[in-house]
Amino acid sequence: MTVLAQQLILGVLIGGLYGLAAAGLSLVFGVMRVLNVAHGELIMLGGYGAFWLASLLGIDPFASLVLVIPGSLLLGAVLYWGLFAFVVRAHEETRVKNSLLIGFGLALALHALAVRLWTADERSIPTSYSGAVLAVGDLAIPLVRLATLVLALLLIGALQLLLSRWRWGKAIRATAEDWQAALLTGIDIRRAYLLAFALGTALAGAAGALITVAYSVSPSIGLEWTLKALIVVVLAGLGSMIGTFVGGLVLGVAEAASAATFGGPYREIVGLVIFVVVLTVRPRGLFGR
Amino acid sequence: MLEIGGLEAGYGDVRALSGVTLSIAAGEIVALLGPNGAGKSTLLNCVAGLVRPWAGAIRWDGQDLRALDAHLIVERGVALVPEGRRLFGGMTVQENLELGAFASRAWAGRRTALERVYTLFPVLAERRRTVVQALSGGQQQMVAVGRALMASPRLLMLDEPSLGLAPRLVAAILEALGAINRAGVAVFLVEQNVPAALSLAHRGYLLEGGRIVGEGSGASLMADAHVRRAYLGPLAVRSEDRPYPQGGHK
Amino acid sequence: MSARVTEERQHERRWALAILAALGLLALLPLARPREDLLNFVFLILLSITLAESWNVVAGYAGQVNLGHAAFFGLGALITRALWIGGTPVPLAMAAGAATAMVFALIIGVAAFRLRGAYFAIGTLALGEILRTTVGNVLPEISTLPAATIASYQLTLRYYLALVLAAISVIAVAALATSRLGLGMRAIREDEEAAEASGVGALSLKLTALALSTALAGLAGGLFAYYHISYYPAHPFGPQWTFDALLMTFIGGVGTLQGPVLGAALYVVLKEYLALRWVDIHLLIFGALFVAIVLLLPGGLVQAAERARGMFGRRA
Repeated sequence: MTVLAQQLILGVLIGGLYGLAAAGLSLVFGVMRVLNVAHGELIMLGGYGAFWLASLLGIDPFASLVLVIPGSLLLGAVLYWGLFAFVVRAHEETRVKNSLLIGFGLALALHALAVRLWTADERSIPTSYSGAVLAVGDLAIPLVRLATLVLALLLIGALQLLLSRWRWGKAIRATAEDWQAALLTGIDIRRAYLLAFALGTALAGAAGALITVAYSVSPSIGLEWTLKALIVVVLAGLGSMIGTFVGGLVLGVAEAASAATFGGPYREIVGLVIFVVVLTVRPRGLFGR
Repeated sequence: MLEIGGLEAGYGDVRALSGVTLSIAAGEIVALLGPNGAGKSTLLNCVAGLVRPWAGAIRWDGQDLRALDAHLIVERGVALVPEGRRLFGGMTVQENLELGAFASRAWAGRRTALERVYTLFPVLAERRRTVVQALSGGQQQMVAVGRALMASPRLLMLDEPSLGLAPRLVAAILEALGAINRAGVAVFLVEQNVPAALSLAHRGYLLEGGRIVGEGSGASLMADAHVRRAYLGPLAVRSEDRPYPQGGHK
Repeated sequence: MSARVTEERQHERRWALAILAALGLLALLPLARPREDLLNFVFLILLSITLAESWNVVAGYAGQVNLGHAAFFGLGALITRALWIGGTPVPLAMAAGAATAMVFALIIGVAAFRLRGAYFAIGTLALGEILRTTVGNVLPEISTLPAATIASYQLTLRYYLALVLAAISVIAVAALATSRLGLGMRAIREDEEAAEASGVGALSLKLTALALSTALAGLAGGLFAYYHISYYPAHPFGPQWTFDALLMTFIGGVGTLQGPVLGAALYVVLKEYLALRWVDIHLLIFGALFVAIVLLLPGGLVQAAERARGMFGRRA
């Protein structure tokens, strides 16, 4: 029983990061109808960014978020201008297909670049507090992972606030609902797209940094995390950042439960199966509109 | 103020407008009448910048609108209430209205503009925190009109605002439009509800098959035989009226 | 319209003949007693041609991006390997592998094709990953040929099999492209709703394309199983096989007969050349090239060649 509870707690802890990873993808897809399958690679780059800052400059990984987030924001803007700005000129069906293909090429290139720069080895960021654990009865809650859960929630909350209070946040939401109506109210939707993409990349970078400090980073986490993000986006549906976060938690718990019941190797499969089932049965997702 | 000359437009291989010429002066209410599929929406969408015309001119205060993106046209003072309202469904009344003032010309004055809209449509003030999906058709139409007004336009264009609304609500919308016009805003109204449109409009144009086939003051169009037969029902035609094919009108 | 169709048919037929002629020439290669690594190199190109053409059927002709293609490659390999090691003659084992892949595809195809565009792509990606993970868990140990088989291993036999398979895939795709089926598929690819409205049964056409595509992929997988002495059973299910096929097809020119062939040749050559110096840098180059093609030259090398011919060819 304790083993199960322990597993579930770990599942919740990683679920928060699943939610954060998915939030960026959901924002971009919801607003621009662009499915960036290189999202996982952007997460990976954020992770390596934190790794570099820690190993080269000795910056604490949590503190490095202050640099990683703006850096990712900038990267997102550059990628939008360079690649996806062209994609959004087409109408929706072509747009989705082209974005898929471009994201694919980008993912491949970024993966190869990462292997080139950092080799295929796993990297992590050991800190003085890496092993700290919060003991609750028989259960051990790793503090670093708990911190990442809290930070993920804070970042999503911050995003939610931006989207509801900031003038351009509202413009982004309006563009997601109906881009033609948004144009008619005077919103420059291309700027809305740019901001959405940059924000999405910033969230990815932050997720990457948190993943690296709590677990590890390697070039291959790209595909893995793109899939996790996709599963959560499909599971939770579009339109609510909080819903996406909860979706991440659900995935984390589902994985933990199946690993505890059927054994470790089936952890990966349950997520994918959920994905396929939801996609066929209720494409709108649990919370989608 | 608004001058359209020889406008040609369409979608893919399908032509929707042929050589359309019309104009709207400051302070006027102009109606655009015509059957389904005549091209009325296309015309409004061209002016608003959602559709690029194939040929012809669209001039607003002498400036060519064709090259501008839609959101910049709003900045110039031309606002469209699109067919089907196209509200931001998941957002509240207040949020929808506020977004209407997004253009920089209107953003600073949005609180004043909001109060004006609430004065015009008091029911919206009561339900300002309601998500618009939950509103009735008539209330949604009010939000749509209000949202366009928030942009402080000098020309307000409406695409079938009475569609799907009960007569009482249609009357309310028309009354609002009259008030808006008296405040100095020109109105370009596309309507299938001919009596409603002509009761309000100073002038009107008749669009059929993508061409302007008639023009006149509100009263003259109302009395016109063709208009009466085609749009007001067979009962409205008097036997001594001459049938349309024998001549046009001007 | 029909004049253009006839011209296209002639075009495809000419290319098919040219490719088959080239394959015929390659059949003579073993007679020159070349080094083994050259035969292996050409073998890889031939296998890649088959795999790329198989992916091209669904993507280029039916217009759907299938990101789970490796699942069928892997299934073909799995069944072929199991049957062959168990004593079944290779042709039969490969046929069984292809059939398994095809049946599996048709079963999930009915559900999968309800998804459009991006959803179909990521749905198939997920399915491919499910299969890979499951196989990896159920069969984690490396599969090695028994000593007797290794002793009697003949590379030239496998080489000729690869040639035959490449030829089959080219002929099959050429036949499809010039048939009524192919025309219908192209109609779906251009505009599915319009095609449905004019009587083209989209689902059955897509399933036919899927059947052909996965059967060829299954055969390629069988070839893979027959060729390699030892490998992990989950390896042919890996997404890189799908991605390779995708890259080759797009860079060469999706939806054409010769595109995948050109793309496959270029890809393998470049990969072998670059792999000597830098690991994975070929993927960086191909990734960038791929993005450039999607943005600027959607028709790939084939389109580039046609433009070049258009610029120079008219002078004469």
